[in-house]
Amino acid sequence: MPYNIAMVSDFFFPQSGGIESHIYQLSSKLIDRGHKVIIITHAYKGRTGVRYLTNGLKIYHVPFFVIYRETTFPTVFSFFPIFRNIVIREQIDIVHGHASLSSFCGEAILHARTMGLRTVFTDHSLFGFADAASILTNKLLKFTLSDVDHAICVSHTCKENTVLRASLDPLMVSVIPNAVVAENFCPLSYYPRTHDQIPISPADPRPSPTPIGPNDTITIVVISRLFYNKGTDLLIAAIPRILASNPNTRFIIAGSGPKAIDLEQMLERNVLQDKVEMLGSVRHEEVRDVMVRGHIYLHPSLTEAFGTVIVEAASCGLYVVCTRVGGIPEVLPQHMTTFAKPEEDDLVVATSKAIAALRSNKVRTDRFHDQVKMMYSWRDVAERTERVYQGIIGDISPSEFYGSYPDQGWDVSGDRVRSFALIDRLKRYYGCGVWAGKLFCLCVVIDFLIFVFLEMWFPRANIDIARSWPKKQPLDKLRTHSIRNSK
Amino acid sequence: MPGRLRVQRPSPTTVSFTVSNASPRSSSPAKILFGIQILLRAVLFCCVIVGLTARLRHLVLFQGENLAQWQAIWSSPFGAHLCSLVDKYNSWAMAVVSVLVIYGVFKRGYTEESLLVIRGFGIQTSTSSSTYLSSAATRFISTTQIQDIVIHEAFKGFEVRFYLAVIVEGEPDVLVVFPANDTGF
Repeated sequence: MPYNIAMVSDFFFPQSGGIESHIYQLSSKLIDRGHKVIIITHAYKGRTGVRYLTNGLKIYHVPFFVIYRETTFPTVFSFFPIFRNIVIREQIDIVHGHASLSSFCGEAILHARTMGLRTVFTDHSLFGFADAASILTNKLLKFTLSDVDHAICVSHTCKENTVLRASLDPLMVSVIPNAVVAENFCPLSYYPRTHDQIPISPADPRPSPTPIGPNDTITIVVISRLFYNKGTDLLIAAIPRILASNPNTRFIIAGSGPKAIDLEQMLERNVLQDKVEMLGSVRHEEVRDVMVRGHIYLHPSLTEAFGTVIVEAASCGLYVVCTRVGGIPEVLPQHMTTFAKPEEDDLVVATSKAIAALRSNKVRTDRFHDQVKMMYSWRDVAERTERVYQGIIGDISPSEFYGSYPDQGWDVSGDRVRSFALIDRLKRYYGCGVWAGKLFCLCVVIDFLIFVFLEMWFPRANIDIARSWPKKQPLDKLRTHSIRNSK
Repeated sequence: MPGRLRVQRPSPTTVSFTVSNASPRSSSPAKILFGIQILLRAVLFCCVIVGLTARLRHLVLFQGENLAQWQAIWSSPFGAHLCSLVDKYNSWAMAVVSVLVIYGVFKRGYTEESLLVIRGFGIQTSTSSSTYLSSAATRFISTTQIQDIVIHEAFKGFEVRFYLAVIVEGEPDVLVVFPANDTGF
């Protein structure tokens, strides 16, 4: 049962970032599992049209009007004709949208439901409830998610946030974390195990790492964009105190942003230029080279849905000090991290504790890489995502997919298997709010009329079916084939 | 409207691919219809010429006996009737209508594009012009200039289409072979 999946998001390469690499890694692993995946995004500068990446991953860079930070102008209906054309020519079964701020994703989910396709939405970020911008975003999210078949969140905190924001049924939201490519984040002195060894044996034949003496320098690494929500203010307040109370400590700070100037002022005021090194922004492939120079990774973020960077740091063999916010506490096990409250005093205490723990050589950071490798892999993410696809398509029964809850007074498969009938969809949208509900219903009706019009004006018969990328034969089949040939 | 592909082999080393979006004229009613259409165009053209001549009969060119017995024509019953008819209309309106009708008469209702492949020598593309008055635009590319020939997809209007393109050495843009017709590779 291989599926044809379309990933839709405003954010994709050549722009780099967490969502972009998530979409790419997930897609390439799904292709490895035998599915066909295409990605639909808007045109970037110098990148328009149809492109192929490794493994036959096909990208449609649709020419579209971009307003702010690579987000397209939200025009509810204008994306429909070209989206319909792409979906028909690629014979798509499932539309998978990413990122709640992407208007492409929201439109695609609406149109896909109108066309009678199953939809999945992945949320990558946390939002507040109080300010005007959040309220507007939450309404838009509600519009997107009212009719979606299933939602995926990157952490349990993110799930809670999304369920509250979009008033979703919690059973319709799965948690599938991000992952890292562990091979790209190896510690400096890493001896890969040979395959015939048992993965984690108590008698580790590798040499124990050189212990840290009481007077050796400990380097603390911070890699983050220097924004308010990344906790740069906390960092600015904490650095002088950490350096004062812990001699033989150094900082390496990589990243750029509006708070960089405040950070530099603090360094000059306290004359700390020889103890704090500022690298400016680094590319994602250079992150590992910066990380392996340190012993501790400090992550002072104020809000975070998942925090891939701390997994990368642990994979590089760094001890992690982070704030207990958002989805961060779910990410790493206790022995790899020291948590702090998001306030200055506690951050200083936690960092000092971590330095003391390293100096007493209690933490086996050399084992972190293998442990992280066991915990996070994109293959696992792809498998779990595939199960979501099976659940919404109906290849596994609703009671198996959503779990069975007898004698609870409600039926598992009740409203969760979303029917495509227009009247049912209108009912779901109508419940979104007094005014918003009516407005949403109007949008859905217009969308349906546009669909009927498109079916008449650009009939399906005139749309060519695109050829799929030739699939690689599985390795064992190939081998038997060649053996037969050699005979 | 999807075009129809016709493949011809004029000689053992050449192949000609022709794509045209004209309606097929294989059945006899279609042939008769095509004949009627030609006849209609000719009649329309004649009408416009005669009408214009009648309107411009006061010019020196249509006076005296230089081309025909003009005086006799204008004074004959048919000529007199025609003159009174055309004099009712504004001359500018007549000029505009005449130009439109003549354009319509000579307009080709379809585009025909072809690709001629000559082994070891090169390829020639040709695109028919929009009117019957001018000839087709052709371009020859020798084998040494061709870097590659690709079939790829592109956005066109609200659609994604396949196209065949030739990458020519030393040119910034590729040459799309059947630009007007939807060939559906």
